[in-house]
Amino acid sequence: MTIQSLDISPVGRVEGDLDVRVDIEHGRVVNAWTHAELFRGFEVILRGKDPQAGLIVTPRICGICGGSHLTCASWALDTAWETEVPRNAILARNLGQIVETIQSIPRYFYGLFAIDLTNRKYRNSRFYEEAVKRFAAFTGKSYELGITISAKPVEIYALLGGQWPHSSYMVPGGVMCAPTLTDITRAWAILEYFRTNWLEPVWLGCSLERYEQIQTYDDFRDWLDEDRNHRDSDLGFYWRMGLDIGLDRYGAGVGKYVTWGYLAHEDKYQKPTIEGRNAAMIMKSGVYDSFADTHVLMDQSFTRENTTHSWYDEGTADIHPSDRTTKPTAINTKDFDNAYSWSSAVLHKDFGRLETGPLARQLVAGGKHGESWQHYDGFILDVFKEMGGASIHVRQLARVHELVKLYRQAEHCLREFKLNDPWYIKPTEKDGRGWGATEAARGSLSHWVEVEGGKIKNYQVIAPGTWNIGPRDGEGIRGPIEEALIGTPIYDSSDPVEVGHVARSFDSCLVCTVHAHDAKTGEELARFRTA
Amino acid sequence: MTNVLWLQGGACSGNTMSFLNAEEPTVCDLIADFGINLLWHPSLGLELGNNLQTLLRDCISGTIPLDILVFEGSVVNAPNGTGEWNRFADRAMKDWLADLAKVAKFIVAVGDCATWGGIPAMSPNPSESEGLQFLKRQEGGFLGKDFVSQAGLPVINIPGCPAHPDWITQILVAIATGRIADIAFDELNRPQTFFNTYTQTGCTRNVHFAYKASTAEFGQRKGCLFYDLGCRGPMTHSSCNRILWNRVSSKTRAGMPCLGCTEPEFPFFDLKPGTVFKTQTVMGVPKELPPGVNKKDYALLTMVAKDAAPPWAEEDFFTV
Ligand code: SF4
Ligand code: SF4
Repeated sequence: MTIQSLDISPVGRVEGDLDVRVDIEHGRVVNAWTHAELFRGFEVILRGKDPQAGLIVTPRICGICGGSHLTCASWALDTAWETEVPRNAILARNLGQIVETIQSIPRYFYGLFAIDLTNRKYRNSRFYEEAVKRFAAFTGKSYELGITISAKPVEIYALLGGQWPHSSYMVPGGVMCAPTLTDITRAWAILEYFRTNWLEPVWLGCSLERYEQIQTYDDFRDWLDEDRNHRDSDLGFYWRMGLDIGLDRYGAGVGKYVTWGYLAHEDKYQKPTIEGRNAAMIMKSGVYDSFADTHVLMDQSFTRENTTHSWYDEGTADIHPSDRTTKPTAINTKDFDNAYSWSSAVLHKDFGRLETGPLARQLVAGGKHGESWQHYDGFILDVFKEMGGASIHVRQLARVHELVKLYRQAEHCLREFKLNDPWYIKPTEKDGRGWGATEAARGSLSHWVEVEGGKIKNYQVIAPGTWNIGPRDGEGIRGPIEEALIGTPIYDSSDPVEVGHVARSFDSCLVCTVHAHDAKTGEELARFRTA
Repeated sequence: MTNVLWLQGGACSGNTMSFLNAEEPTVCDLIADFGINLLWHPSLGLELGNNLQTLLRDCISGTIPLDILVFEGSVVNAPNGTGEWNRFADRAMKDWLADLAKVAKFIVAVGDCATWGGIPAMSPNPSESEGLQFLKRQEGGFLGKDFVSQAGLPVINIPGCPAHPDWITQILVAIATGRIADIAFDELNRPQTFFNTYTQTGCTRNVHFAYKASTAEFGQRKGCLFYDLGCRGPMTHSSCNRILWNRVSSKTRAGMPCLGCTEPEFPFFDLKPGTVFKTQTVMGVPKELPPGVNKKDYALLTMVAKDAAPPWAEEDFFTV
C-alpha cells in the first residue's frame, strides 16, 4: 500500500493557525509534522524597552492566556528586583489566573473540541443524535450555555484588573487594585452563579462535594453508574460517547510530562527567588516519566531549546532558552528534512521531549514528591494507568477535572483577602536576571528576563505551545503533537477530523509560540521596516 | 442573512476572546436572532484544510456573497513584503486578504493590530506589520488611503487592545440591520458613538482628578492616576467607563492607569525606559494635558483646585 501525504492547512479551532502534514498508510497516520506559521517577534520588540514593558506587551502575546503571561512577567521582575509581595497581592494574582483558566475550560471544551462529536463520521453512534443536540456549533443547548457562561468567571478578573483580556494589573511588588467589599461580594456571587447554573447542574450532574469524592478510576465508574444525572451530565455523556467512538484508543504522545507548578502560596512566596519557587507553589512542579513511573521536581535550569528544524539560523546545539541568539531565517520555505516551523523544539536536558498541559499537571499531582503540604491528587494518574496510558480521552478528562479544584482555590482566595492590608509594596528598580513561571490553562509557561542599564537586555518566553507544537529536535525526535498523531486512524481523508481531535486535545495555542532575535538580527530586521 | 468571515493575521486572539464575552447580544444570539451567518472563524469555524480553502475561494469568486469581512491582527508583510511569515490556508495571509477585500461589502478591522498595526508594529516592527488602512496615525496601511469596500465605505476601525465586545457586536448588528448609515465616523474611521468621549467620562476617580489628588503608588482606592502613574484617560477616546468591561469595571476603576489603547500611538513612547506607568513631566507639570487645556491655565487650575480641595479628596472614600 502506498503512503498518502495529507497537508492540512489550517487545522483550525486551535488558537492560532496550526498546519499539519500527515503520512497515511493502511488508513493510519505513520508520520506527522506540525508547523507554526506566524512570526511576530515579540522578544525582539521587548529588547531595549522599559523593564516593565513585559507587563504590557506579553499579555498580548496571547489573548487567551494573557493573565498567565502577566503572572510570569510580574514574578520574573519580582525575582530580578528582589521585591516583597504582600499576601493580598499573591492571592489577587492567583485569583486572576484561576478565573482565566476556569473561563478557558468550557470555552475550549464546547467551542473548540466537542463540536467535532457532531461530525457525520459518528452518525452511527448511539450517542450521535444527543451529541448534535448538545454540542452543535452556536445552536447546541450545551454549546450555547457553555460559551455564554464562560464569560462569567473573567468578570472576577475585571473586578481586580478592570477588564479581561489584556489588563496589566499585576506588577512587581504586588497588584494595582485594592478591591472593596462590593468587589469581593460580587466575585463570590459570580462564582456561585457559575456553579449553580452550569458547573453542578449541567457539567457534573452532582454537587462539587460528590464529585470531590472521586479518587480513582473505579470511583469514577461508580459515580457514572450511581445516578442518571451523573451519566447524562455533559461530563458523563462525553465520557460515554468518547469511549463509544474510540477516543481512548489514539493520541498517546511522548509519555513524559512536565509542569512548572502554579499558584504561589500566599505566605511562603512573599520574598520570591528563582531557587525558592518549587517549594512555594500550591500545585507542585515536576516531571512524570510514565515508562519508569517516576516523579521528580522540575527546575528552569533543565530547560533546553533546539532549532535544528525551525526557521532560525542558530546551529544545532541544545541550549538554555536564556542563551539563545535567535536569528530567524529570511526565507521560511517548508522543508520536511530541515526547517518547517517557527516553533523551536523544547526539551528537558535529561528527559528529552515532554508533553505539557492539564494531563501533565494531573499526572504530576499524583506524585509523592515535593513538599508535604503541597496539593496531592491521584485520580488522573490512576485513570492513566488503568487505561494503559495517554489518549485523547484521558487528556480531555484531565483538562476538565481541574475545574472543581480551581473553583475551590478561587474560594480560598476570596476567603483569605484582608481588605485593609496592603496590596502593593513599592520595589526598588535594579538590574538583574529574573524568571517567572506558571501554568496557563494549556500548559507550562515561563519568562526569562535580563535587565541591564535600566532596560531589557533579553526577554525570552517558552509557552505551552512551544513545548507541545515544537517540531523535531536535534536528534530527529518528533514533538509531542507530532508523536501523538502517530497511529491515528483516518476515516475520510477529505475530512480528517481525527487529526483535529488529536491536535485539539492539547488545546494548543500557536499564538504563543513567539521567538526573538539577538540585537544584531534586530538591527537587520529594522531595514525591512515598512514606512 | 448576513455572511460574516472572520480572519486573523498577526493576532493574539484577544479580540476573539473579548467578542466571546459579549452579552446582550451574545455571540450565539447574533447568529440566532440577528441573522448573522458566521461563514468561518479561526476559533469557531468547522471546516479545516482543503474544505476551508474551497470556502475562501468561493467567497473570492462570488459564489458565496461576502457581506462582512472581519479582520483581527496585523497584516504581516515580512519578509521583504512577501507576507510569508504569516501563512494561512497554504498562502501568505496578505494575499488572501487582498483578494477578499475586493469582494467584501464591508470590512471591519477589530482591535489595534488590524486598525493601526498594534504591538507587532511597535519599533523595530520585526514582522513588517501594518493595519488595514493605517500604520499608527499614518493613513494608507495595507489597503491604501483611498480604499473603499463594495458598500462604498473605508475600513470601519474598532480599535482597542482588545476591542470591547459591545463595540464589535453593535457594529455587526448595525450593518446586518441596515443601520450603518446612521453612524458617524471620526477622522480615524472610528464609530463616534464609542469614541467621541474620553476614557475619563464616567471614571470613579474624576473627583480626585478635579481636586488634583494623586494616587502616588499602586494598590490604592483613592486618588487619580493621572498625576503620577501615567493615566491617559483624559486624552484617550474611548467609552470604557460608560460601557463597562465585562459588565463590571474598567481599568481606571480598578486602579490601573489607562494605557490609551484606542489611540494609534499605543503603546505610548514605544515603552522606552522610564515611560511605563509613569507620568512624563516637565518641572512637575504633566507633559501632556487634556485636549484644549494649555499649560498656563493648567497651572492656575491646579492652584485653585488644591486650595479648594476638601480634606476628603485626599482620603480613601471607597473605604472598606
Ligand atoms: S484615573 Fe485616569 S481616567 Fe480616571 S479621572 Fe484620573 S486621569 Fe481620568
Ligand atoms: S481604559 Fe484605556 S487602555 Fe483600558 S481599554 Fe480603555 S482605552 Fe484601552
